[in-house]
Amino acid sequence: MSGFTGRQAPRKGENYELSVDLNSEYRDKRKDAIKRVIASMTVGKDVSGLFPDVLKNMQTEDLEQKKLVYLYLMNYAKTQPELVILAVNTFVKDAEDPNPLVRALAIRTMGCLRAEKIIDYLCDPLQKCLRDDDPYVRKTAALCVAKLYDLKPELVMDNGFLEQLKDMVSDPNPMVVANTIAALSDIHFASVAAGTDEALFTIDSSTLQKLLIALNECSEWGRVAILNALARYEAVDERESEHICERVVPQFQHANGSVVLAAIKAIMIHMRGVSGEQFRRTLVRKMAPPLVTLLSSPPEVQWVALRNINLLLQKEPGVLSNEMRVFFCKYNDPLYVKVEKLDIMVRLANEHNIDPLLSELKEYASEVDVDFVRKSVKAIGQAAIKIEEGAERCVNVLLDLIATRVSYVVQEAVVVMKDIFRKYPSQYEGIIPTLCANLDELDEPEAKASLIWIIGEYANKIDNADELLGIFVDTFMEESYPVQLQTLTSVVKLFLRKPETSQGLVQKVLNTATKDCDSPDVRDRAYIYWRLLSTDPGAAKAVILAHRPPISIPRTNVSPALLEELVSEMSTLASVYHKPAGTFIGQGRIGADSMQKREDASDDQFSAQKAFQTVAAGQQAENLLDFDDVPSDQPSGLAATQISTRIPAAANLIAGTSSNPLDDLVSIFGNLGAEQPIPNPASPPNIFGSPPAMQPQQQQNAFSGLGLGGAASPPQITSPPPQQAQKEEDLLGLF
Amino acid sequence: MSVDGIIILENSGRPIIQSGFRSTNATYPLLHIDTLNNALASSPQKEDVDPVLYVPGYISDGKHSACCHVKCGDVRILAPIRGDVDPLFAFAFIHTFVEILQDYFGTLSAATLRDNFDVVYQLLEETLDSIGYPNTTSPNQLRDIVLPPSLLHKILSVTGVSGLSNAGHGNITPFSSPIPWRKAGLRYNNNEIYFDVTEVLKAIAGPTGTLYCEVQGKVDSNSRLSGTPDLQLTFTNPDYLVDASFHSCVRLRRWQRDKALSFVPPDGRFTLMEYRYLPPTSRSLSAPSTQVPVPFTLKPVVTIEEDGGSFSVSLTSRLSTRLFDEIVVEFYLGDGSSGVNCTASHGTSWSFDSRTSKIRWDLKTVPPSGTHTLRGSWASSKKYPRPAAAFRVKYDIAKYSYSSIKIDQLRMSGETYKPFKGFRANSKGDVDWRW
Repeated sequence: MSGFTGRQAPRKGENYELSVDLNSEYRDKRKDAIKRVIASMTVGKDVSGLFPDVLKNMQTEDLEQKKLVYLYLMNYAKTQPELVILAVNTFVKDAEDPNPLVRALAIRTMGCLRAEKIIDYLCDPLQKCLRDDDPYVRKTAALCVAKLYDLKPELVMDNGFLEQLKDMVSDPNPMVVANTIAALSDIHFASVAAGTDEALFTIDSSTLQKLLIALNECSEWGRVAILNALARYEAVDERESEHICERVVPQFQHANGSVVLAAIKAIMIHMRGVSGEQFRRTLVRKMAPPLVTLLSSPPEVQWVALRNINLLLQKEPGVLSNEMRVFFCKYNDPLYVKVEKLDIMVRLANEHNIDPLLSELKEYASEVDVDFVRKSVKAIGQAAIKIEEGAERCVNVLLDLIATRVSYVVQEAVVVMKDIFRKYPSQYEGIIPTLCANLDELDEPEAKASLIWIIGEYANKIDNADELLGIFVDTFMEESYPVQLQTLTSVVKLFLRKPETSQGLVQKVLNTATKDCDSPDVRDRAYIYWRLLSTDPGAAKAVILAHRPPISIPRTNVSPALLEELVSEMSTLASVYHKPAGTFIGQGRIGADSMQKREDASDDQFSAQKAFQTVAAGQQAENLLDFDDVPSDQPSGLAATQISTRIPAAANLIAGTSSNPLDDLVSIFGNLGAEQPIPNPASPPNIFGSPPAMQPQQQQNAFSGLGLGGAASPPQITSPPPQQAQKEEDLLGLF
Repeated sequence: MSVDGIIILENSGRPIIQSGFRSTNATYPLLHIDTLNNALASSPQKEDVDPVLYVPGYISDGKHSACCHVKCGDVRILAPIRGDVDPLFAFAFIHTFVEILQDYFGTLSAATLRDNFDVVYQLLEETLDSIGYPNTTSPNQLRDIVLPPSLLHKILSVTGVSGLSNAGHGNITPFSSPIPWRKAGLRYNNNEIYFDVTEVLKAIAGPTGTLYCEVQGKVDSNSRLSGTPDLQLTFTNPDYLVDASFHSCVRLRRWQRDKALSFVPPDGRFTLMEYRYLPPTSRSLSAPSTQVPVPFTLKPVVTIEEDGGSFSVSLTSRLSTRLFDEIVVEFYLGDGSSGVNCTASHGTSWSFDSRTSKIRWDLKTVPPSGTHTLRGSWASSKKYPRPAAAFRVKYDIAKYSYSSIKIDQLRMSGETYKPFKGFRANSKGDVDWRW
């Protein structure tokens, strides 16, 4: 490329040779040269200097050569519009060529050039092409209008292209109809995104009939466009909703997966307008087989199908209850497919299929991939919590797995056992010794914390609990914060249960935690415990040993309103990410605003308000959870830490100005802590002095806070269950 | 609807060919390529990278996008998507595009793409409009507007008779047909249509029996019929074919009503339908899962020692009259395996690929009730190697179908000639056999 200046053809080098060939008198030599120019262009070489030479070859009978020249023009139109102007005449001439392919090519290319100056010349030929005799030209021209709108909306409006497009919906050729619908939808969304209030394209009943007819006759891509348009249509009455559903259902049998998903989406939306329970159920039952069929496709398609099945199952559990075996993992499935299958298997678990499920999960727990093994073990725990009848079998499988002594399996199993203990308190105490026997092998914080929680919770049943906890107290400063927090709580629990043997231990751990520990969370919690123990041991007992509601697996891992949103966005990116489109598209095609408008207009059973609060709650909770490194599923610690760290939120709630979704959470914890009538049992001897370094001011805050939290939670608040936080964290994990 | 474009990367992660991306920022495709390459580099197993990658936008515009990618031969195909698009739409388009490329070039590889880049470019232009809307993807129509590279084509161009507008077809213009998947004005001397049925058995089996088994069938067709024939095809036992999905040409409501396939076929090769075979016996039982018996039994024994392991596996055919045309058994021995030493029974051969640590056992033509065994041992650099939990067995049985599907009748209206119909069935299997 040396010696290349300006736009003058170089005198030597590759480009010079090309230039000579482009002006050759032999046709095939010229064509070959064009190909070489395109090849250079692809690898990023600057061949813009050859512009005039290439342009000379534009007028040719050879369609292939014409296409290549057009390709070259499109590439340089953006950077060098003044050169492309030279080609305008040829374009306009080509748009009237007797060959429809040339006409279509010219109009398509002009739309792609995206150069302001060319656009003005586009309107006349486009006008003609929209009325062309040949359907191929018409369907190309229809899309061109959408491109024009993207560049200069006013041109589309001034030239009446929009009205022309609307007329073309009645075109006899189904492909023209499909492309017209695609173009109109694009224009509509672009105008909505730009903030215009006027709906440019609304489908009315007569259009609907045309769409339903064209649906069966056009290509797969056309069908997707029509189905998406149908999903936007608002049916006038229930009969029409039913009619649409009936006409769309056959599309479930299309070979192309995206048609199937678009059809499911359209039906999900129109199904809301149908009141007949029987009809709805039949529709939902028909959705499952085509989705399952997609599982025989390549893995990436399987994955998208699985994500959508997952969503469908949350909305309609029981759809695939007999088909669990379809989701059994093959050894060679990619990890992302396996993980998704695992989630669905747990969703489908019931008391009838728990046995095959467990033997399958046990099989997975012996595989090589550590992540997958852990998730399998976790799934066993979820199955145990979900199905009471099968819990014992799940525990036995976990014990088998612990016996393998594979480090990460044992650790995950311990974590899972903790959840089982929370769900079925004091049912499986017999296995505690087995768990404790593995104490030395645990090196992950979560597993350690879980085991410590178990020891603390069952301190009065474990003879050597003080010895076991003593090990952790000795190494207190070397442990991670979650383990420290859990050690602290468990030692206090032990003390409240067996005061006589553990006085020294509790004194030691409180001392270390308040004096040496650099985590404010650990230190504050230690202060609160200390203060509680020293002022009113009875209250301490009521708070720390309070009865906690057992956990349960949420049927959905997104909130109901969000789920409703997602289901209506099925077959979009949103459904794959399980997040509403607004959160990751931004102000794109359908931003949050337009979604709200839609919701408002269509007076759904889910008021838009509610949906958006949930969405907002999800987003805010994410932010909060981001820097909250206390695992929120530690029940023993929640009452104390959450209140101490979130007083301002509780105060907001009283003032009635709260916008923080976590308020509700806090209020629950407040209830837990303070609503409990405080009995006065035989209190442990008060051996504590005041905690050393606490400022009086601080103390006061802490305690008034505790009171506030309790007082601030009127019982009629319907708050989301504590798992909410966990749910949103799951969602977070997607990105 | 916005598949922003297609980028084809070679194995090293460098782009070979990409579509124009004319409506986006110039750095947009680069952003996607980088995201994918980073994800691939940071994943220990390349095939475990999520198929849809989130691509954060610039801070300034806040427009996020996602990158859908598919590995295909030695190239990887990317489709950046934005907004509320179904990723499946992108994947469906990628797969369609791959089929088109294979149709045009026979195989899909970086080398063939480079050699035919001009054709690939034209195909990209024709199949995907610059606003992300798929255009013409039916091979029937594409061949009219983008000439496949062929010897004839080369001769034509050398002799100067090039160009599409005058290259045959007489006075029939492309796209004049009202049916999007079929050319108009076709003429054949011999009017024939062939149906190839391929049924694939997918199963997971183990010491406790068959855990899951399913038969999926596919009817491929090759049509060489003149004019615009309207066909009606019925099978002998259509009730056992469930969850069927069809080519665009099939009238779906007819199938729903009387299980007949009514269609105007495209010209040339196409996949007419896909289905799942539900065996009749399982319908009466309460057990919902379909159980076609796996046509062989495998008896694997694997022993793992500290520095390696040994295994023996014997395979017995359960077919009573037919023979297997080919069986391949694969087994992953775990990372760091070496020094594999096996004895295979007569007529079979084995090989070990040290790169993938997989042992492969090839069996040709296993006769009815025949048994073969493979014994061997291996050494491992890792203590207590972790081989795969399952042997993967793939096989072929020619001229056989699990469902014994047959054509009952093929009727034609719209044309006067009598077409010749051909029918052939083939069976395959892909079984995970756990030990």
